[in-house]
Amino acid sequence: MKKVLTIARHEYWVNVRRPDFIIFTSLVPLLGIVALAVSLIFGRQAGGAIVRMFDGGTEVTAVVDQSGGFTPLLPRFEEEFVPYSNEAEARTALEDDEVQRVVVVPNTYPREGDVTVVTEGSRFSGSGTRGLRSFFIAHLIKEIEDKTLQARLIDPYDARVEYVGEQAQASGGVAGEILSVMVPFFFGILLAVTIFVSSGYLVRSVAEEKSSRVIEIVLSSVTPQQLLAGKVIGLGALGLTQILVWIASTAGLSGGLVLLAGIVLPLLLRWEVFVLALVFYILGFGVYAVLIAAIGTLGSSFQESQQITGIFIFVAAVPMMLTGVIMTDPNAMVVRVLSWFPLTAPTTMMLRLPLAAVPWTDVAGSIVLLLVTIPAVVWFGAKVFRLGMLMYGKRPGALEIVRLLRHA
Amino acid sequence: MADSVLEVRNICKKYGSRVAVDDLSFDVLQGEVFGLLGPNGAGKTSTIRILMDIFKADSGEVELLGGLPGQSRERVGYLPEERGLYRDQRVLEVLVYLGRLKGVDGAKARNRALELLARVELEEWGGKRVKELSRGMQHKVQFVACLIHDPELLILDEPFQGLDPVNVEMIKGLMRSLVSEGKTIVLSAHQMNLVEELCDRILLIDDGKALLYGSLKEIKRDFAPNSVRVQAADLPVDLPGVVASERQGDVTLLTLEGIGAQEFLAGLVAHDVQVESFERAAVPLNDIFVAMVQGNTTPPQGSLSTAEKAKAR
Repeated sequence: MKKVLTIARHEYWVNVRRPDFIIFTSLVPLLGIVALAVSLIFGRQAGGAIVRMFDGGTEVTAVVDQSGGFTPLLPRFEEEFVPYSNEAEARTALEDDEVQRVVVVPNTYPREGDVTVVTEGSRFSGSGTRGLRSFFIAHLIKEIEDKTLQARLIDPYDARVEYVGEQAQASGGVAGEILSVMVPFFFGILLAVTIFVSSGYLVRSVAEEKSSRVIEIVLSSVTPQQLLAGKVIGLGALGLTQILVWIASTAGLSGGLVLLAGIVLPLLLRWEVFVLALVFYILGFGVYAVLIAAIGTLGSSFQESQQITGIFIFVAAVPMMLTGVIMTDPNAMVVRVLSWFPLTAPTTMMLRLPLAAVPWTDVAGSIVLLLVTIPAVVWFGAKVFRLGMLMYGKRPGALEIVRLLRHA
Repeated sequence: MADSVLEVRNICKKYGSRVAVDDLSFDVLQGEVFGLLGPNGAGKTSTIRILMDIFKADSGEVELLGGLPGQSRERVGYLPEERGLYRDQRVLEVLVYLGRLKGVDGAKARNRALELLARVELEEWGGKRVKELSRGMQHKVQFVACLIHDPELLILDEPFQGLDPVNVEMIKGLMRSLVSEGKTIVLSAHQMNLVEELCDRILLIDDGKALLYGSLKEIKRDFAPNSVRVQAADLPVDLPGVVASERQGDVTLLTLEGIGAQEFLAGLVAHDVQVESFERAAVPLNDIFVAMVQGNTTPPQGSLSTAEKAKAR
């Protein structure tokens, strides 16, 4: 075990210092810093531009008031609404891009409630009537003396909803509910991605040891099983480091608020999902890493090893491609089948768990199956590893591998 | 007789239908330099990998330092033929890591690495990355790597490969001093002159089978033709038992028949020949190797029986 840890520590330290690891890991914090820098340097303008890009909320509306109920405009609307005396003038302003919307209130409005809106926005964005409701209500009730009644008419209720059913865990309103699904879901995706990333490091580590011919010196000191285990643990830890850096940097950049409100709370509120995702991460990494490390030894160069292991990565990535199906129906038959197949179970379950109450048979079944698969994979992996590591030159064909394995 | 540090009995190894090691048996004695020789593809590396527990033998037994192969990895130093180092890492870092894998703690491995690097005149290169070193330097670092844990038994597969004559001398000196410290060395090399210089006993294999096995001196004596080299001021032409003579500068090579070297020398003395030098003509190991592997000769009685004995045990 001491040797396994020595190998794990060596693999970890060597890879954590690699420029490409540092660059890839720094990407998330760097993007955050860039976003912060943009908002600091360009101030409100840039912020406004970004907000407008996504929101479109600061558009200016021309108001042609023929009913008289909206003249003069209430001071708090003066920034976003500009009075125009006739419709033609307002339409010209719209064409000249001085305003983004024209609202014509005819003199029949008090009786009929009919209003014409001319907008350059798309139907899809719903920009036709956005913000109009509060504008109309505010002007309609300005005559009412009772300020409290005014306030209540504008904002009739502030509901605190108490959930008592099965899905009662989520709190914090609609946003909380969404977060409690989405955060574990993205956490699952993140873990799944980490498996692929770490496996990539593993393939490279194995290929490098083989091509630099250091492997035989190492194998004179440790068994193939120890070497395999050390690599898997070291590089698995490397993957987790990456996730931790990403989460920590998000927290750091947002002053801890995002971490607390956005990630930790939803994860803690659904701790069983969190724990199970971790369990599937460890088991999944166990299966993939051993397989990939072992199969990776059969290539004669890093590129060749990558090609050979690509097929396994592809199988593992199938659930990611079916994210749409999983999101629509987390308990669909195809999803359940994928949960029971050792190579797809970890990723499928990591995506599936946050989205629905997964039948316990599926959870227990796939965990048991993975637990049974791992020793088999380790046994097979060590055999391939022993064979592949010392086989230089041409890549063997599938038949030759099978034949050689019988004698390894 | 010294104790065996390695006993190999009837090991076999097949890859598919190809037989790599065929019923091989031999012993390596404490404190000797043992030569494992053979042409390319003879089964030397497979044999060594079985000793190192990198491969498993299909059948047969190996007792290494009193246990099974793999049980005493910490006591064996191995320099494989296919060897290299982590190219992007620093020399000292690599040596300490390889030492730790052999069970030496970090600080001790570091001190030992520094000491050994000084011995191979690379003390200033410890902080450099491996890829910055020349090929010869890398070979020396690899040699250091297999000594880092102060092993009792060294298995060196082609240790002189890629070294210039100066470094060959250095490694030879290092091997001699290791033997004087009581270490045992199994040496596989293609440079027969070096094997002759260093080895006490040898095993010559081809196609996985033992061809010759035993003391190098005895083997050479057994293979030696019945001829002598004589340097004398006035050598008579009609000496008894001489069937051929050949001048080689000041020395005359005389091929004898029906008379032993000892008896012939007595005859020279009896004829009052002023002998300045007299030696039995030896055959270079290289010639024995080539002749045996090409099947041009059969082993003389002594060596054959040694090899046969080794197999029979």
